[in-house]
Amino acid sequence: MRRSQLISLCLILAIAFGAFLGTAGRRKTPALGLDLKGGVLVVLKPTKPVSDAILNQSIEIIRSRVDALGVAEPDISRLGRNIVVQLPGVKNKERALEIVGQTAELRFRPVLSLLPPFDANPEPPKTTTTTSAAPTTTAPGPTTSTTTPAQIPTSTKDEDKPENPVVLPEIVKGRVVQRYALGPSELTGRVVRTASARAPQTGGGWTVEVEFTSDGGKKFDDLAKAYYQQSVAIVLDGVVKSAPKINEQEFHGKATISGGSSGFSEREAKDLSLVLRFGALPVQLERQTVQEVSATLGKDSLRAGLIAGAIGLGLVLLYMVLYYRALGIVVLFGLTVSAMLMYSIITWLSETSGLTLSLAGATGIIVSVGITVDSYIVYFERLKDEIRSGKTLRSSVDRGFQRAWRTILAADISSLIGAALLYWLTVGPVRGFAFFLGLSTVIDLVTAYFFKRPVVAFLGRSRFFTEARWFGVARGLASTPTGAS
Amino acid sequence: MTDTISGEKRSLWYRLYHGETSYDFMGQKRRWFMISGVVVLIGMVSLVGRGLNFGIDFKGGTAWEVKSRSLSVTKARSAMSAVGLREAQIQRIGGDLIRVRADIGGPAAQRQEEVAKVRTKLADVANVSESQVNINDVGPSWGKEISGKARRALIFFFLAIFAYISFRFEWKMAAAALGAVVHDIAITVGIYTVSGFEVTPATIIAFLTILGYSLYDTIVVFDKIEENTRGLAASGRLTYEDTVNLSMNQVLMRSLNTSLVAILPILSILVVGAYVLGATTLEDFGLALLIGLVTGAYSSIFIASPLLAILKEREPRYAAIRQRLATRAGGPPLTPAAAAAMSGPRASSGDGAAADWSQQTPSVTPRATGSGARRPPPRGRKRGRRR
Repeated sequence: MRRSQLISLCLILAIAFGAFLGTAGRRKTPALGLDLKGGVLVVLKPTKPVSDAILNQSIEIIRSRVDALGVAEPDISRLGRNIVVQLPGVKNKERALEIVGQTAELRFRPVLSLLPPFDANPEPPKTTTTTSAAPTTTAPGPTTSTTTPAQIPTSTKDEDKPENPVVLPEIVKGRVVQRYALGPSELTGRVVRTASARAPQTGGGWTVEVEFTSDGGKKFDDLAKAYYQQSVAIVLDGVVKSAPKINEQEFHGKATISGGSSGFSEREAKDLSLVLRFGALPVQLERQTVQEVSATLGKDSLRAGLIAGAIGLGLVLLYMVLYYRALGIVVLFGLTVSAMLMYSIITWLSETSGLTLSLAGATGIIVSVGITVDSYIVYFERLKDEIRSGKTLRSSVDRGFQRAWRTILAADISSLIGAALLYWLTVGPVRGFAFFLGLSTVIDLVTAYFFKRPVVAFLGRSRFFTEARWFGVARGLASTPTGAS
Repeated sequence: MTDTISGEKRSLWYRLYHGETSYDFMGQKRRWFMISGVVVLIGMVSLVGRGLNFGIDFKGGTAWEVKSRSLSVTKARSAMSAVGLREAQIQRIGGDLIRVRADIGGPAAQRQEEVAKVRTKLADVANVSESQVNINDVGPSWGKEISGKARRALIFFFLAIFAYISFRFEWKMAAAALGAVVHDIAITVGIYTVSGFEVTPATIIAFLTILGYSLYDTIVVFDKIEENTRGLAASGRLTYEDTVNLSMNQVLMRSLNTSLVAILPILSILVVGAYVLGATTLEDFGLALLIGLVTGAYSSIFIASPLLAILKEREPRYAAIRQRLATRAGGPPLTPAAAAAMSGPRASSGDGAAADWSQQTPSVTPRATGSGARRPPPRGRKRGRRR
């Protein structure tokens, strides 16, 4: 074994073990996709043709809405002219879907009074009707108990009409921090031309600069005159985003919202400017497909996949060892190295770029076991060829590898081309599958060159491995004088 | 599969293992083309006649799935008609999964309401909470988009692979390889229309994998052919067809092994994953993979290589060799072991070993092995055979 080969072997073992132990040590596991973990997937399509800019805007808005829902690892992406929203592990699927797709308006409502944030629990305890709880009796109607301000209920979706006075919450990180009693809507988001967050000037926090349309500027001045020195709430989707106080009567088409005494943080200012810029979805979206996967069924699929994969892998390894003897053990170790690399990479990618392992991806991995093992078979059969032409195992190893490498490279590159094209050109599950197929092909090439070559070279030199009675490499390759049958 | 090879037919196994097979793949090519042609024809007739059975992901519709041992299909059916779902298709999958399928139609809002209603009812009769019900609701235009994308991907895939193989080998190999892939597609589509198996996104994925597999297989064979054309065949003592035949015999064991190791995990997915544990997506995957893998393995041997031979034999160079060799008596095809022994460790085209071989053509197998033994095993490191 040449020194460079020894180094490459040590290197790949160090990398594989290091990465794997690092991953396992931090107790990280790959993030599971929706079909394995349970959750909801919805594909939304604009009801009329729209530009790319509008589609991307819609995605941004949906993303901020989903963030407000507090879903872990949401995935909102564009897919041709559609928007795909994936919410793994979400509990209340119906509500999530509603919030994601609704095309609410941004409204400016005058603040009438402040209310305590009592109504954090969306389902107020029922006092009566405990008998025959029919689950299909729509949302609980608003009860008309008006004792203390704390018990004034938050308005429901149906009550949130522009012409009604309403009670709406302000939500920070999923918790109601304040509620407002608000008058009817005075203006909509259409008056805003653009808005941007501005970094702190001398002293103070971040601010939001709003620019109105020419028509909107006049309307806003009217509003400012009417509610001078009072607060006006900016409301989106039934949630108060901000309730700034009007400090001037004339704005001349421009306004600055400062975050009160403490000022806005950068994040708050950016969020608010986002809301102002395109609070409402710029286009109506229609559900194309909805997929809801229950967490238990997802887990069942995962278990089935794991068991099937393990059994399949076991059978393959058994066959390899029986057929190639000591070289079969090389396959075993090679697959272990590949598996450790694969596991670490998947975990790393799911941490850093939100990759999730779906059932399609898992299948891709199981299938790729076949491809990986095949590259070993190509090499071993090549060794057999060399030995048949009268060479010793020892001298066949290098030449055999060079030739096998050409073959493996040619075949793997065609796999990679296929995987890359599938990845770029297709959607959803096919895409996930293509990614894992491509990944395992690359790992196959790496382990072939840096692991398989040096290990076989090493075995080819060792008398013990080549000549052991039942186990020897020579036996596995049938490198015996033929003809003596 | 292992049993038949290693147990009962030891001699065949032995010959495979030691590279002493000499199957005349090329001589039989007309037969294989015929068989494939007939199967493809049946498939195409069926495709035109009854078409493919597309799942809801392609044609739109709604599926609900719930896990329950106690819920029977009849009970589910009466529950479904109670909520006004009369046209529903209800089946039990695996051991304990009930799947209800229907096409609700109507405007989106009404449809959503209906879907939720069925979910509630189904959870009720299965005695589980609503969140335990899987729903897959697909609008009618979505499937068109998916299949449009897949078709586009497939066309680009073909173009890219054609370009790559032309670049790496030559365009005739690219044409033959793609011919085999088209054959695989035709056969698989045929099997799906005749049997009425449902086509789902999982089927499509599996199918794409198979294209990759089949190409991979074909490229391994072609790589060998290319190597042989540079060596043995360049001397002009072997027709292109014989070179192909030799190459196929040389990689036969590898093809068998590869197919076997590919089939093992897939069988495991199919049997364990789908039938024992009842994971329906795995079942879709497994079935399509199995069908595709078998046709892929078949086509890389019986379609791709003969196609290549036909294309190449038209070249003046190989036509001339064929003419010249036709005057001699055609012996049985060369075995890989013989070829290896003949070409020797350092044999290049046209040296003594190859010339020696061409005189021995008529009785290649026995003598070839003898000639292999004639070359003494260097340094006596090899031990005698033990069986």
